[in-house]
Amino acid sequence: MSDHPEVRGCFLPLHLHYNVHENTWVEVNDDGTVTIGMTDIAQNLAGPLLHAKPKKVGAVRKKGKPLATVESSKWVGPVKSPMTGEIVAVNEALLSDATIINRSPYKAGWIVKMKPENADTELAELHTGQAAVDAYKTRIEAEDIKACEHVEGFEA
Amino acid sequence: MSSSGPIRLIEAGATSALRSQTIYHGLAYARTPRTPDTVVLLTPAEPYVCIGFHQDLEREVDTAWCGDRGLPVLRRETGGGAVYLDSDQLFVQWVMAGESLPARVDRRFELFARPLVATYRDFGVAAEFRPVNDVHVDGRKIVGTGAAHIGEAEVLVGNLIFDFDTGVMTRVLRTPSEAFREQVRQSLDAYMTSIRRETGSSPDRGAVAAAYARHCATALGRDLEPGTLTAEEERAIDLVDQRFTSSEFRTRAGGRPWRGVKIHEDVHVAESVYGHPDGDVRITARLRRGFIDAVAFTRNDHGQFDGLQPLIDGLREIPLDHLAVSRVVRARHPAGDALTPGEVDGWVSAVLDLDPNREATR
Repeated sequence: MSDHPEVRGCFLPLHLHYNVHENTWVEVNDDGTVTIGMTDIAQNLAGPLLHAKPKKVGAVRKKGKPLATVESSKWVGPVKSPMTGEIVAVNEALLSDATIINRSPYKAGWIVKMKPENADTELAELHTGQAAVDAYKTRIEAEDIKACEHVEGFEA
Repeated sequence: MSSSGPIRLIEAGATSALRSQTIYHGLAYARTPRTPDTVVLLTPAEPYVCIGFHQDLEREVDTAWCGDRGLPVLRRETGGGAVYLDSDQLFVQWVMAGESLPARVDRRFELFARPLVATYRDFGVAAEFRPVNDVHVDGRKIVGTGAAHIGEAEVLVGNLIFDFDTGVMTRVLRTPSEAFREQVRQSLDAYMTSIRRETGSSPDRGAVAAAYARHCATALGRDLEPGTLTAEEERAIDLVDQRFTSSEFRTRAGGRPWRGVKIHEDVHVAESVYGHPDGDVRITARLRRGFIDAVAFTRNDHGQFDGLQPLIDGLREIPLDHLAVSRVVRARHPAGDALTPGEVDGWVSAVLDLDPNREATR
């Protein structure tokens, strides 16, 4: 089985943890921090991004509160934090080119790194592996979410 | 449940410029699971300029010109560019639960556009939905729309345009040159329209609002019932008033580098610079569906171009891609075969920089 299964053309790396409702992902780092970003599905729903503005380093965000705002030609909205914690790094490259998220939602397009307060509890509330793929299949079919289209040079 | 019960209709009438923006923001921030889905109709009593959430105020708007004329400049929390707004528009603002709307943003816009299109047609305007989020009349835009997630609400905003002053709209923008400003004005005249322009008259606002409410109920399959703001919503709007008038919010930094003006989904006005040894050449162009629709060269010192007219003419109506542009530069530049590869690349790059989505080489 691929490490990057697709659902309607949308990639979902198996090693990440997902908030399926809010379309965010979490990667656990060796130093105990987590990296957070938008999913392939989220970047497709938004379309080419014009702006991405993360909160500042040092900000403490509760789960469900915005950790960034993003804007496409169609929509402005928050990226809601899947975990509670302090932001310890932001992806400065997004400030000048938000389309990095469209091109590389899981790698170069990460949004913030966070030092989580309740990592074990909150990670357990997210979906990972095949369970995440199954949860997304259900959501994508229920909401008839369009198939993902990828820009040239896209990396999963 | 809010997604199946009647929709509250708030007809706010003529409001201040500030309230024409803050009512829907306040409603969104005050929203709870028990709040009914709400449609607001209002008209700003005074003209003003409104910039998008992530725009840089001083980069986008000629604030000195606006200040001299007493034109307020506000920032909104929906996206898009700087716009001039006045009493010749009826604002339509939906503040709803997410489950009351399609999950896909493109389908939300299609739903939002339906009553706007139907209302225009009632008054003799042949409006059509133009995906993703425009309403056009024969290729000319007649609605500005935006969508956002604010607080716990999904927000869709748009306007029915009775008349539109393209001269003032053009003047409030900060532009890199007068040639650019003139191209924006010409493009707005060519690619925007209004009820007055289409029909020669301006219908009664009350009749338009009533038609819209009727078509809105049909589109959403739910009744619209007149309602008022709650005390909690009034307080939330007051708080938004304070924030929107604060210098910190109005002047907050933001925005990617300036990349021209979007007239509508298919049309942009853009400008780039070629570093000519005798003085920079500004290339001002209108782009339409990936083609160069109109183009002009100017120099800051108003100098002459020594035979560049064939190049200017050759760039018209060609696709904005490397192959097409380099062919024209090689064939039409007066230096002909004497152009060095570096000079060809410089011209081609300057023209391709007109593309608002291209990585800037400047």
